[in-house]
Amino acid sequence: MKINLANKKNEKKQLKSSGPKYHLHPGDVIFNILNYSFFIIFTIACIFPFYYLFINTISDNDLVRKGAITLIPKGLHLKNYISLKNVNDLMTSFMVSVSRTVLGTGLMVAASGLVGFVVTKKEMWGRSLWYRFIVITMYFNAGMIPWYLNMSMVGLTDNFLGYIIPGIVAPYNIILVKTYIESIPAELEESAYIDGATYINVFTKIIWPLSKPILATIAIFGAVGHWNSFTDSLILMQNDASLHTLQHRLYTYLNETSNIGAIMRSGTGQLSAADQALLLNSKTIKYTISMVTVLPILFVYPFMQRYFEKGIMLGAVKG
Amino acid sequence: MHEEKQLKSMKGRITDFLYYLYRIVIIIFAISLFIPSFNPARICGMVNGNMSLFTSGVSYSALTQSITRAVNRGWVQESTFVLLFISSLLSCLGIFSAVAAGCMSLGSFKLRRLGHYIVLIGTFVGYLGLGGALIAYNQVSKTSNTDWVQPMFPNGVYIIGAMFTIVLVLTIVLLYLIPKPNKNEVYSLEAKYKLFLILMPFIALTFVFSYLPLWGWRYAFFDYKAGGTLSWENFVGFKWFTILFQNKATRNDIVKVMQNTLAMSALGLSTSWCAMAFAIFLCEIKNMRIRRFIQTCTTIPNFISWVLVYSFACTIFATDGLISNLIVRNGGTAVNFLMNGDHIWLKMLAWGMWKGIGWSAIVYIAGISGIDQQLYEAATVDGAGRFQKMWHVTVPGLLPTFFVLFLMGVAGILSNGLDQYLVFENPNNTQDIKVLDLYVYKLGIDQGNIPISTVIGMVKSLVSVTLLFIANKLSKIIRGNTII
Repeated sequence: MKINLANKKNEKKQLKSSGPKYHLHPGDVIFNILNYSFFIIFTIACIFPFYYLFINTISDNDLVRKGAITLIPKGLHLKNYISLKNVNDLMTSFMVSVSRTVLGTGLMVAASGLVGFVVTKKEMWGRSLWYRFIVITMYFNAGMIPWYLNMSMVGLTDNFLGYIIPGIVAPYNIILVKTYIESIPAELEESAYIDGATYINVFTKIIWPLSKPILATIAIFGAVGHWNSFTDSLILMQNDASLHTLQHRLYTYLNETSNIGAIMRSGTGQLSAADQALLLNSKTIKYTISMVTVLPILFVYPFMQRYFEKGIMLGAVKG
Repeated sequence: MHEEKQLKSMKGRITDFLYYLYRIVIIIFAISLFIPSFNPARICGMVNGNMSLFTSGVSYSALTQSITRAVNRGWVQESTFVLLFISSLLSCLGIFSAVAAGCMSLGSFKLRRLGHYIVLIGTFVGYLGLGGALIAYNQVSKTSNTDWVQPMFPNGVYIIGAMFTIVLVLTIVLLYLIPKPNKNEVYSLEAKYKLFLILMPFIALTFVFSYLPLWGWRYAFFDYKAGGTLSWENFVGFKWFTILFQNKATRNDIVKVMQNTLAMSALGLSTSWCAMAFAIFLCEIKNMRIRRFIQTCTTIPNFISWVLVYSFACTIFATDGLISNLIVRNGGTAVNFLMNGDHIWLKMLAWGMWKGIGWSAIVYIAGISGIDQQLYEAATVDGAGRFQKMWHVTVPGLLPTFFVLFLMGVAGILSNGLDQYLVFENPNNTQDIKVLDLYVYKLGIDQGNIPISTVIGMVKSLVSVTLLFIANKLSKIIRGNTII
């Protein structure tokens, strides 16, 4: 990190010092214009859908239905978000997604840390054999159908644990953690063993705190993976709609061609006038649900960015 | 004296041998917990033939998922199934105790002895469970509607019972063989085994979720219908493999699917240099703040799911989307561009690029900052222009990374992934969008055609692993460095 910072400072200095001397040839100007235009257009293409979706969820629903909202929101309100509580099963799905993300990520990180630590211990019985046994599973899989049959055999279909347990052992993350732990000076551990610490003590008191950067990296990537995961819900939870994740629910709604009333609690007769209006407006509902699904990602995104390059560069290390 | 020593070592050797046997038996025992045909709880046709003893013992709802009708009509008693569930649970506990004893057998004699005592109790509990299953079978077989309930004798009782007996016999023999208790003994375990036992649960998880599915390949050789069982009666050998090529309809499907798969993979591979170009040109933007901003914005799409990408696609391209709105405002009619099935390969490529290029570029951006600045200075001195520096300094610096990623891409040529094609599929484009993964999903999960979809998945896995090995070898030959 320190080296990086130093580099940045140098870069800035260089830029400043080379500024006045820098001659711009006409060719450079044209190049810069083209280059900037390309990147500006592509950047807009990347963030415009987010923006467009967002302004449509907070604008007046009538205008949205007419398609009058293009660049500027009109008639601001948050009723759409409040009305979501009336959408069938949305809350359940949200809770399923949140709990699988929290639980699944937590267990995966703890397991990766522990396994990563244990496989660095040379004195372990059959160390390299077991390490390879785990890591090699990255490179093959039996295929979707055998995997599904296997999950049903061990009773994890239509079962919330089906989201959690298969993801606990993540070979790639184990490699990352192992590589990181190997870079921690061995003297730290050794002195602890001399003082009579057990393996578990050393792991919780020394290794875990020192590995926090890498654990945070895998946690964030794991959490995004869990939040976005969709096919496992589709394949495993066929018979229990109350276990569908938010992504799966959104997929269902997007494909809902019939009257959107089907997804609202229309039978209760307790819908307010605003909700009645919303009933007719499937478009805003879909948009708002999409927005709710994407918001958590946008919230963690700034935290993630710090770990991008670190994670990717570590990924270049082999197992 | 001498004789006694020899005897002792003889005895020690036998003990060691028996302990190896003991552990192997226990591992097999633990695996059989997950094998449906060994399930002692399968006392009637209403218990899913695909369910293992483990599932029967931990999930009452799975055990009783299809008994509601029979209970309502009074053909069976619900209490029978409660009994069956408890019995399965007890059998599971028995097996768990054996596993615990197997772990303890790695420790000191005192620890081993404790393990043996646990297994003595565990075996008793396990026998109780098997007895319970037999009682449940007895009750079920008295049903008034045998056609519906289909009572069948659970052969698993014999198999699991035999295993309990083997473990019990071994335990008793070993208890007799190991030295008598003495006061100075402590519970202890060597460090190497301690570490192994910490790792063991994770090895077991890996085994269950990554290796055990390979056992599912056997479905490729049987005439299997969902919910049925495998037996030698419906063993069909390589029938499904030949059907793939002999049946004209299937063959046409496969040819089309392979075209789609390979075409889209090839398109992806042939444009994989775009990420590198993206990174190189992005680094030409010298203003760090603008560059960071662009990088941030172009990476976001990578972190949203394909469902959300599809949702975005709808908001822009569907009948009520942005573009249709603009067309309508100018006096045209709304069009649903997503239902248009033309050029679907290119469209999928474009969506893939939109989502992934910013992210793929990051690794190259990191690579560029790792290139020695002196090379650029030297090039400048030699009179190289901007593009010459890019081509002669930056690109060669990034090529090794590109090469590795490209080879990985070649190895994954059959795995396009499911999500993207599943969400964008519709009746108009289904012909051209159906890649191998989507085809397998439709065939196996939607249509329930387990054997053929297993065959395809199996061939795909084997080809992928082979490709990976070839890519690895190539990398070793060309760069002298492996990629895996």
